[in-house]
Formats: sequence, structure tokens, C-alpha cells
Amino acid sequence: MVYSSSSIWSEYKFNTKFYYFNHQLIFFIIGLIIMIILSKINYKDYYKYANKLLFICFILLILVLIPGVGQIRNGSRSWFGIGSLGVQPSEITKLALIIFTSKYLSQNEKDVRSFKKGIFPILLVIGLFFILIMLEPDFGTAMVIIATIFAMLFVSNIKTSFFGYIGLLGLIGISSLIIIAPYRLKRIVSFINPWSDPLGSGFQIIQSLYAIGPGGLFGLGFGNSIQKHFYLPEPQTDFIFAIISEEFGIIGITLLSILFIIIFYNTIKISYNHQDLFAKYLSFGLIMGLIIQTILNIAVVIGLVPVTGVTLPFISYGGSSLLVSMASIGIILNIANNNKHNL
Amino acid sequence: MFHYTIQKRIRIIYYLILLVFIILIIRVLYLEIFASKSLNNLANDLWARNLPILADRGKILDRNGIVLADNITTTSLIVIPSQIKNKEKVARDISKILKTDYINIYSHLTKHTSIERIHPEGRSLSYDIAQKISDLNYDGVYLLKESKRYYPYKDYLSHVLGYVGIDNQGLSGIELEYDEYLKGNDGKIKYFSDGKGQRLNLSEIYEEPISGNNIMLTIDLKIQEIIERELSNVVTKYNPEKALILVMNPNTAEVIAMSSRPNFDSNNYKIYDIETLNRNLPIWATYEPGSTFKIITLASAINEGKVNLFEDHYYDGGSIMVENARIKCWKHGGHGSETFLQVVENSCNPGFVVLGQRLGTKTLYQYLNNFGFGKKTGIDLNGESSGIMFKLENMGPVETATTAFGQGISVTPIQQVTGVSAAINGGNLYKTYIVKSINEGLTNNVIKLNHPTLVRRVIKEESSKLVRYALESVVQNGTGKNAYIENYRVGGKTGTAQKVKDGKYMVGNYIVSFIGFLPADKPEYLIYVAIDNPKGITQYGGTVSAPVAKNVMLSIIDYKGYPKVLTDKTREYTWLDQKYIKLPDVIGLTKEEAKKQLKGFSLEYSGSGEKILAQLPEGNTYIKENSTVKLMLN
Repeated sequence: MVYSSSSIWSEYKFNTKFYYFNHQLIFFIIGLIIMIILSKINYKDYYKYANKLLFICFILLILVLIPGVGQIRNGSRSWFGIGSLGVQPSEITKLALIIFTSKYLSQNEKDVRSFKKGIFPILLVIGLFFILIMLEPDFGTAMVIIATIFAMLFVSNIKTSFFGYIGLLGLIGISSLIIIAPYRLKRIVSFINPWSDPLGSGFQIIQSLYAIGPGGLFGLGFGNSIQKHFYLPEPQTDFIFAIISEEFGIIGITLLSILFIIIFYNTIKISYNHQDLFAKYLSFGLIMGLIIQTILNIAVVIGLVPVTGVTLPFISYGGSSLLVSMASIGIILNIANNNKHNL
Repeated sequence: MFHYTIQKRIRIIYYLILLVFIILIIRVLYLEIFASKSLNNLANDLWARNLPILADRGKILDRNGIVLADNITTTSLIVIPSQIKNKEKVARDISKILKTDYINIYSHLTKHTSIERIHPEGRSLSYDIAQKISDLNYDGVYLLKESKRYYPYKDYLSHVLGYVGIDNQGLSGIELEYDEYLKGNDGKIKYFSDGKGQRLNLSEIYEEPISGNNIMLTIDLKIQEIIERELSNVVTKYNPEKALILVMNPNTAEVIAMSSRPNFDSNNYKIYDIETLNRNLPIWATYEPGSTFKIITLASAINEGKVNLFEDHYYDGGSIMVENARIKCWKHGGHGSETFLQVVENSCNPGFVVLGQRLGTKTLYQYLNNFGFGKKTGIDLNGESSGIMFKLENMGPVETATTAFGQGISVTPIQQVTGVSAAINGGNLYKTYIVKSINEGLTNNVIKLNHPTLVRRVIKEESSKLVRYALESVVQNGTGKNAYIENYRVGGKTGTAQKVKDGKYMVGNYIVSFIGFLPADKPEYLIYVAIDNPKGITQYGGTVSAPVAKNVMLSIIDYKGYPKVLTDKTREYTWLDQKYIKLPDVIGLTKEEAKKQLKGFSLEYSGSGEKILAQLPEGNTYIKENSTVKLMLN
């Protein structure tokens, strides 16, 4: 899929149709190896190294902000360049934060019901990383991390009233932002009706809809997308879902969705049944990270949410994203196996 | 217990996420199923680039199918800048072939547009040049067939036909008025391109152009040629300010020919000034009609039974007093004692004042309206004027008097011709028209046929007959002698209209006119000639315009092959031998009383009572001696 959606741009930029495809293939193989290795490493090791891991990520996130060390791609200083390959520390941070939160929640089982002792410290840590990632800025990844962590907090024994306060706070925040700068309302309008500004903020959404719409039942066939011919920006990363819809139609989308749901369902089942609290949180957090990212990506592609720059896990082109997704699966596989041993 | 809470919440999140995910997928499927068509169309518009194929513009034909406005096929050069690879080389080669400068062509090739026309250098290319460009075989350089308007008869009928702009859009005349029918639908070659304008490897879609419809006019080119020739002669001979000739079929109000000077060549309209282009004099010009207008007064008076042409006499002392105004006859000293037929023959102004007075302001005004004056005839051409009439409340005795002989009101030539048609065709006013039919472009099959439209009945058949008789007399014995044609029956009326400038009549500067028709007993052609300020001749309608009209009529006789008839002394019907007497109104009288009054008529009764309820013909009209009068009794 990466091949089909990227070949046109690839040929245009690098004179070979296979540039993105080859890169992705290399990452896939690396990812596969990492996945196998991680599935062999006992998940309880992460419990031990969680703090160190998070600290390393903290350093990386600061380093990436330093011009000359971090590279700017697509307007965000969020990359370490290694040759032509790029690594995004924010993706790794996502993993580290999930591990850290899992550890924290399982450690402070009793305290989470209190705001001061339980929630406040973890919110402080998350807030710090959130700010670092927003400085790049990588709004999409930040959103995924926040949503994932909040889902994990919800699952832990936190008082539900806490979420009520958060929601209220968010509402007040958004309202005041709009009152301070009314142009933001215009942005929201343009995202609800992209045709109100077809060449500006609505452009990508319209192009995306033009790819999804014509797909029909069977799609235009593999490699036959028209929108990938320079109409749709980033066809191989953020908008790959639109190209899938264009080329494989309803059938392709349905199959893809079922695959995602299968992974989601199975992991939730593992988390649900696991005896170890850390494992429960970890597997839940990992799958939430993936599925929230998926939902956000699809929502962007079909115009339900403003463009955020989030990739579709496993499918989109992008080394870090693919590696982290496959690493997540590797960890989940290990958790699943360990549970069986315990029983 | 604790694990139980977690499990409960995991389940909540699980269902929540599943719900959101499924909603998203449903939204995608909705887009693919229900919004697919509309999105596909929009997307197609985005992807598709159209190479236009211009439709052939419909032709304009005369009533016999002779082509008056035609198309010449030419080739035009268009380029799609994004498809041209080596822009410098292509620009160099094309500029060499077109013999234009390199910078110009290069700027066309580098424009940020999907399709660029090389204009004007690349329009209307000759075959050789088109071939040379096509031999280059460059990507993104296209030659398209185009058609260019061509008027084979150049300046003939130019005001009626009008002209078209560079994109074949109608700008004036029939070309403008019937543009919707003539223009047809352009076709296109649709190909798909990527976001950067490169051609995609998808099959093209060809949409065939649909030719425009042909417009068939009521114009007869043969007669049009006659009047064009006569007008050219008039211009050479008299060097007038303006001149115009109109020919109409009085029985249908079809325009058979119309032209004016100055005129222009539709092929080359740009070199003429805007006034020449815009002023289609036969429908645009408004001026005091002068004596030709007396036909209308005459017809009204006859129809109202206000005059017996043969019996009633008038003594013309050279002028007549209306209120405090002295209205002079054109003939110094007057015509003396004359019948009203002679009043018409002599075009005697005071005589017509009397007719106007007999009619009365209101009735005269009603007739003017009924004959169609004061409003547009509704001919299917742009630029028609409506003329100027007095308002009824502003019409005093003086205005009535001057209107009766054609002064103080302003009319267009087309109104006069249409009104006079009604006066001589048996009394029916028809709507003027110039488009006979709209025909299918390729087969010339009629799509829509225009028929004569009766607007209203204005005067009686009998009255119309008398008008024709009187106007034939004008040509035989009166002011229209110069239009007399031996062995053919011709009717007509002269006119010499004074021109008004700054509210005053101009001296020695007239519009001289003649309106004539043939055959006089059963008119088929009505000809109107008007010449504005002819030089080097006494400015009378009879001396200048009547001979021109005569030439036109002679040519029509020749073209139509009218047979000779015996005229002059031995007419088919000799009106003078037959006595016309006034039929009194007997309604309300007893049978006996009526009988006494109706001596000299044969009577027919219906009913058996004593009192007369109705009579036919009506009372107070002139009818032939010994004709039958029907009386209805109670």
C-alpha cells in the first residue's frame, strides 16, 4: 500500500518509484526483528527500567529541540536524522510514558483515589512531556499520548468526578480561546464545511474526500488512484487511508477495519483477564495508544477532525511510527504469553 | 474487588472505543456509497481538463434558403503549458512559423493556466501554417478546428444580420437576438491530468459539439439586392445624410427587404463608427412622417363614414384657420374646389385638417393607436424605437389638425409600413416579423415556424378597398405620378417631412419619402423609401423618392413576372360610375318611416313587428346605391 500511494511522489522526488517502499521495507524487517526480540523479553523488566527509559526520552526530547541536532521536517523539529532515515523521539516517548504510567498506577494502587497523592504527580510528569512535544510541535502525537494516558487513568480506580472537572476545564479553556481570538471559530467552521475555504484550510480535507468518494464498492484497483497524482498531499503518510479507500473501495476499508478490531479485541481480552496489575495497565495502554492513533487518523481523513498529522499505525509510511507500533505488539505478545504461564 | 472495578472500566472503554471506531467506519462507508456520485463528479471536474471543440454556428438564410451568414472553417492554436517540456525550443519554433516574436509566444507557454489560447496570432490559421505546426509534433501543442463567421454579401442587409465577436458570440442584429439558437453547444475532448497538469494515462472522453440552428429570414435576397442597388444609386446621385428602403408583404407584415445608408460590412465591422453600427434606421429612426401619414387619416375617416371621397367637396383657399393658428397648404394659393379624392391626390393639407376635424380628436387618436403608432411593432431585432405621440389629454384642435397630415408626431419607418399595410390589406394589423423559421442546423428541417400574427382588425374590408383606390389615383393623377408604371397597377403616397432641429423646423432640409404598393388591387409588396436631405434637387417626395420606389417596383415586377394589366381609363371596376350614398340610421323608427328614408335601397326584413331593432350595414355609412339593407323587426 505504501508502494502504491507513494510511487508517484517518490518518482517525482527521487526518480524511482520504490524509494518510500524500500525504506518502509527495511523498517518493516527491523520492526519484525524488534517485535520478536521484545516478545521474548519479560515485560516485568520494563517495570524496573521504566524511570530510566523515561529519563532517556526526556533527554532526547530536549536534544531534538536544539537546532542542528534535531531536524525540521514538515514544519516540526521532531526528527533525528540518521542518513536519510529519520527517528522521532516523540514516538518512543509515547511507549516510555505508557510504561511509566502503568508502573505508577500499579505501584500506587491505593493512592489513586486521592487527587493530591495519586493523580497530581502523574499529571505533572505528563504535562512536562506534553509541553516538550508541543514545542516541536507535534500536536498529533501529543494528543494521542494525552488521550491514552487519560484512558489509563480512567481504568485505574480514579474517582469519576475527576473527569467531570477535567471536561469542564477543557470546555472553559476552549471557550476562552475562542473569545480571545475569534479567528479560531472560523477554523472550526472551515473544518465543518471545508468548501467554505477550498484553497486554504479546507484544501486537504476536500482532496481527501475526493479520494474516498469515488472508491465505490471495489475501488479503482491497486495502483489506480488519481488523487495520489499530486492532488492529495502526503498520500503515503497521513492520508494513506483515503488512498486505500480510492483503490480498494468499501471492501478494502471493511477488511482493514476488521483487522484493526481483531487486534484491539484480542489485546483488550488479554488486559481484561491478566492477573498482574502492571501487565493489565501496560497492555491496555499500548493498545489504546494504537487504536486512538488509528481513530484520530481516520477522523482526520474523513474530515471529522482538523488535520493533526497522525499516521495510520502499521499502514502509513514512516519508520518510527512503524517500529513503535510493532514494538507495542511485541510487548503485548510477551504479556499474553506470561499470563498463560502464570495460570 | 479492585480488579473488578478495573475490569468494569476496561469494558466501558472497550465499548466506547469500539463505538467511535464503528461510527467512523460507517461515515467512510456513507461517503463511499451515498456521497460517492456527487464527490465523484466534483473530483472529475478537478481531474479533467477540457480541450474545447467549438460548435458550428447556425447559418442565416433568406426565405429561399440562400445563405446570408456562413462559416469558414479555420484552425486555432492552443497550448497546455504544463505538458510542454522544452518551452524555449517550442516557443522558438512556433514564433518562427507564426512570424511573431519569441517573447510573446514564450509568455503564452509559461502562463499558469490549464489551457492557453495563442491569441490573436494563433487564431484563424491557414492550412499551410497549421500543417507546419502539426508536423512539429510537440507535446502540449494542439490545433483545434474553429469556424469563423463569413458574410458572403458583405454590406448587404448588414444591420439586420448584425455581426459576431472573436469568439463567435452574437453582438448585434439577428446574430445577437437569436444567439441562443445560433450558437449551438461546444463539444470537448476531456482528458485527465494530475495535480501538476501532466496528462494521465487514462482514456479521453470525446463530447461531440452540436451545431447551432439555422435562422431563415423572411428576407428575399433578390429584392434585398434591388433595394441595396437603388440605395447606392441614391447615395451617388443625391449624397443624402441618410436613406432607407423597406419592403414588406402587407398581407402578413413580413419584412421582405430592408436596408439603409450609411451601412457597414459585417465581416469587418470594427472599422465603422458606433453610430453606423448601432442605428438600424428602418426601425430606429423616428421623425415626422409628413404626407405619407395621411393614408392613416384617410383610412380612419373612410372607416368612420366621415367622408364620401367622390361626393363631398372641399374648397381649399390655401390655408385653414384652426383656433388661432393658420395652417397653410403646401401649394401656394391652394387647390380651389376639389372632391376629397382630389384632396388625397393633391395631398392637400387643409383638406386633411377637415378630415381630422370630422373624426374628432378622440377617434383619430384611437385609430392611431389601433394602427400601431406610439409603440414598438415588436419586430425580432434589437434597437427598435417606439416613436413619439401626443398624449390624448394634450391633444387640442391644433394638434389634431397637424397630426391629420403627418406633423407633430414622430414615427419609425417600420411603424408606418406596418400601419399602412393594415390600411391596404383589408384592414388587419399584423405583428411585424423578420424570422420565418428556426431550422435544425445539419438537416435544415424546420423546428419552429413563425406565422403571421393578427394584432387586431383596424378598418373594414370595404374601407381598405377605398383606401387602395384613392392611393392608386394618387399615382395616376396626383402627386405620386413619378411612380406611375404603365400597364401595371400601382398605388402610393408621397411625403415631404420637415426636420426639427432645436425645436424649430429646418429650412430646405427635408426627409422626402414615398410609400407605394403593387399590385394596387391586391397588394403583395409595400415599398417605403425615405431619403434624408438629398442634395441638388427640389426636396419633394414626389420628385426624389417616387422615382426610386418606381425603380424598385419595376425590378420586383421583372423578378416576380407580374403580367401586364390594362389600367388607366379602362379599369376593372369604375368607381366613379357607381354612386355611393349615405345610409341613414333607422333604428327605433317604424317600418313605414324607415321605408321612406331608405329610398334607393332594396330592403330585406326579418321578423314581423313594426319597430326596427337593428340594421345591416350600420347607419351613417356610405354604401353603393341599390345595395341591400337588412332590417330586423321586433
